[in-house]
Formats: sequence, structure tokens, C-alpha cells
Amino acid sequence: MTYLLGILQTIGVHTLLGLSAYLLLLTGQLSLAQVGFFAIGAYVSGILTVIFSWNIFAALALGSLMAGFFAFLVGFPALRVKGLMLVVATISFSEIVRLFFFNLSWRVNVNGVEVGPDSTQGFREIRYFAANGWEQIHIVGLIWFVVMVVMLALWWLDQVRAGAVLRAVGTDELAAQSSGINLTMVKVAAMTGGGVIAGIGGGLFAHSTTYVDHHTFVILLATFAVSYPIIGGLRSVIGTLLAVIFIQGFIIEGLRFMGDYRNLIFGLLIILVMNMRPQGLLDGHLVADIRKLLSKLTKGGKADA
Amino acid sequence: MNFDHIDIIQSLIDGVLFGSIYALIGLGFTLIFGAMHKLNLAYAASSIAGAYSGLMSLTIFGLPPLMAFIIGPIMSGVIGLILYFVCFRFMPRGNHLAPLMASIGALFFIDELIIHETSGSPMSFPATLPDAYFFLGEFGIRGDLLLVMGFSFILMAIVMLLLYRTKLGLGTRATSQQPVAALLCGIPIHRTNSATFILAGVLGGFAGCLLAASVGVLSPLLTLPLTVKGLIVTVIGGLGSIRGAIVAGFAVGAAESIFLLVRGVNERDIYVFLLLFLFLVLRPNGLFGTTINRD
Repeated sequence: MTYLLGILQTIGVHTLLGLSAYLLLLTGQLSLAQVGFFAIGAYVSGILTVIFSWNIFAALALGSLMAGFFAFLVGFPALRVKGLMLVVATISFSEIVRLFFFNLSWRVNVNGVEVGPDSTQGFREIRYFAANGWEQIHIVGLIWFVVMVVMLALWWLDQVRAGAVLRAVGTDELAAQSSGINLTMVKVAAMTGGGVIAGIGGGLFAHSTTYVDHHTFVILLATFAVSYPIIGGLRSVIGTLLAVIFIQGFIIEGLRFMGDYRNLIFGLLIILVMNMRPQGLLDGHLVADIRKLLSKLTKGGKADA
Repeated sequence: MNFDHIDIIQSLIDGVLFGSIYALIGLGFTLIFGAMHKLNLAYAASSIAGAYSGLMSLTIFGLPPLMAFIIGPIMSGVIGLILYFVCFRFMPRGNHLAPLMASIGALFFIDELIIHETSGSPMSFPATLPDAYFFLGEFGIRGDLLLVMGFSFILMAIVMLLLYRTKLGLGTRATSQQPVAALLCGIPIHRTNSATFILAGVLGGFAGCLLAASVGVLSPLLTLPLTVKGLIVTVIGGLGSIRGAIVAGFAVGAAESIFLLVRGVNERDIYVFLLLFLFLVLRPNGLFGTTINRD
């Protein structure tokens, strides 16, 4: 049971990472800065609960706002460029954040114990949940509540004008600009939103594992973050969730008996999926087919009745 | 911290010499980007993989150490060609995300394959000139790094000759400017692209071997830093600009060395990345880039 809850925890946090990349991918921008925002959320909310003894919800909120703020700041210079340049710029941002926390040492004496980030030793004492009597099931519940809220918000975004604007920028920037859309504003907004989502994911991650260090926030995690929505397809938020379940649940956990070979399989799988389905597993055609099937089923039901 | 002008000039010398490896990797990234306007993130990994296969062939077949510098680049070229076929050849032309993502998958695959084959432990690589050390007044110059630099210049000259003096180079440049028009003029763009990937791969293989020889070890930990530094060189030099990549390679090497002297090894890379951001804000086209290539 603990094992299962652990997997659910990982899937939840990775879904948040994937969704934060998804939001920016809708505008056609591939960002590897997500792991930087994730790290900011993790460290800021961790510092707030550990050193300043804040309530977890307030700390998570401020952590994600800080991540969003940095996303906003980095959005302006980074989004002046696009495509390949953005990839490079965002890799650099994530590495700057990682190296900053790698060098950050802020040890404080709280209730007779020295706590806080300890540069290369990592940030160890993020024990808010244990100290306040939360059980693992509550933590998993909180993570999945956040995941559901974010997914609903992103789904809702697709139903209103904002989603159409995002997708318009992603499909054809020139056409979007010609119809009066402010490209920079849309992209920076998407970047900020992605930062907020990644930040809250980072805060949840730090508190559920009780320990973070700079190794957690390497570029590898950022490539995971973008691989979920790309493999899942950008048509729907469900695609991202399915991709996370498939990769984290099936490849990483389910194939544990294969040892090292899992990572080899992961690399091959990405290559294979991209060749077979360049638009992702759940692409436009498949979504349309499913819709058709669903409406046929409901119509069929009505005819029988 | 105290250091005088001698320390600064000394670290500049070391940096520029080491920067020739970055220049080679940046040149490879630029060649591939120029040919397809797509990014091959597995490129530095393929270079390291080439160096590994060179090293392994020494132990397996008992060849003299010099053979690593021949087998390594050849294998890198082969890996480059394979990467072209699995990650780029069959992708829709307008889709930029899919090949990028596929090359990330290839990066994982190569990295994990190396870790799997070597159990993750670094392997020592034969040094080229272990004892050579020259003095130039008050400054010392590492002989092997000097060799690296000389070798890089020869390679760059060969690439320039290939690009600007041969029919293949003409085709490559035409394909990079207008793939459809090039196709209409009868240039076999897939064959041209394959040739570019092989050429870039061979370059990377040399860079990987030179890097391993000057560091002394080969380790899977080298791939990500090399990828990131190569990308930075490509962007600072200006996307698709060959001389830009070369100049930026030396510049980044020098800057890195200065930051190492002034701020220490833990903070060195922060400043290299900030330098990149400075370029993105003030000169998004890089040193020699044109807006056409800015994608």
C-alpha cells in the first residue's frame, strides 16, 4: 500500500511538471526551464515551512507565486527568441537555478536544531507533514487534489477564448499576430502560468520527499517534463496524464525487473513514438475518433430506449 | 582572493586552448542546424560515444593508442548517420518538436548505453603528450592542449574547404538556404543531409577524443555539460554561422577560465549562463548571426 501510494505521489508530481510544460507548448514554445521553476517552488516553500514555520498552504502558495514571478522575469528575454534559442536559454536558466541552490547555504537554529539548505549536502529537514500528523494518504490526497484542480483549470482554459488564443499562437504566429494578438504577452502569460504550476509541484515534491538537493533538479527532469505532453499529445490535458502514467507507472515502475534496461527502453520509446506519431499518442485524429465513438454510443443508447 | 595579471593571462591562455574543443562541438551543432534548421540534442552524446568506441576498440583489439583518434571519429560519423535516420529523416518537415524530442530520446539512449556498458565508472583515456609543457616568458602552455588547438584548426580548415570548395558543400549550403528550391534544382537533399550529419559526427568524434585526452578520463558525466556548452557556443556565435561558432568557442572557453579563476569551480557555470542571457537580451542574433537564421 505504501508502495502504491508512493507511485501515486510520483505520478501526481510529474503530472504537474508535465502540465506546466503543456501550457507553454500550446503556444508552440518548448521550454526546459520548468525544472528551474520546480526547484524554486521546492526550495522557497521548504524554507518557509522549515525556517519560518509557515503553514503548508501559505508556503505552497508563496512558493508557486515566486516560481511564477521568476517565470515572468525570465519570460521577457527568453521569449524574444524562439525555437532552438529558447531551448538553450531555458536550459541555461534551469542550470543557473540549480547552481544557485547548489551554492546556497542558509543554516538557521530553529528550536535547538540547525536546519535549512546546506549547499552540497542538500536541504534535509522538510518534515512539515510528519511533524503535523499528516499520513501518507493525506499527502497523496493533497497532491491529487492539486492535480485535478490544475487539470480542470487547463481544460476550462481550452473552452474559452484564452485557449483559442494560445493555440492560435502555437499553430501560426504570423497569422495570430495579424489578427491582433500580442505574441509576447500571450507567451509570457503562458510562461508565468507554467511557472506557477511547476512551482506548486515543486513545493509538494519537497514536502512529500522531505529532502531535496541539486541533483534532483538536473536538466534530465526538464526533458521528462516536456516529454510527457509531447508524447501524450497536445490535443488534450488527458494526454499528459496518460503519458505520465505510462512512463512513470509502466516503464519506470512496471518494468523494474529489467533493471538498467528500463532507461534504454525509455529512450527508444521516445524515438519510436515520435516517428510513428509525431503529434503525440493522443493526437487530433484520435481525439475526434473518440468523440465520434462516444456520441455514437450515447445516440445508440437513446435509440434503444 | 588575490591574483595578478599573470594569473589572468595564464587562465586566458588555458581557456582559449581548451575552447577549441567547444569550438569544434559548436561547429558541429551549427552544421546540423544550418542543414536542417533543427536541433540535434544527441550530438554531443554521439561525440562522447564515438570517443568511447575508440577507447574500447583499443582494449578489445589491442591497438596502439593513436588508433582511438581514428576509430573514434569514424564511429561518431556512423552514429551521426544513424541519428539522422532515426530522429530526422522521416519526420514531417514543418514539425520542429518531434525531431527535437526524438533526439532527446536518443540522448537518453546513448547516455544510458554508455552507463550500462561501463557500469557508470569513468575510464582513463590515453594522453597525447603527457609531459610536454612549454614556457613562454612567465606563462606556461600545456603541450597537449596546444596540440588540441592545432588539430582543431586543421579540422576547421577542412570543413571550410569542404563547404566552400566542393560540390557537396555547395549542395549543403543550398539545402540550408532553401530546401525546396534545392530539391527542385536536383540536389538530393536527403543524401546531402546525411553527408552533413556524417561530417558533423566525425568532427564531434575528434572533439570527444580530444576532450577525453586532455581531461584524461572518459565519463558519461561529460555528455550533458558538453551538450550545454556546445549549445551556448552555437547561440553566442549566431545560429547557423560557422565563423561565429568558432570565435564563440574560443571566447566561451576563455570566459569560463576567467570565471573559474575569479569565482571558483562551483559558481563558474552560473556566470557562463548569465553571459548567454546577456547575449540573448542585447544581441539575440549572436556575434555573426543573421535574422534569417534566427529560429
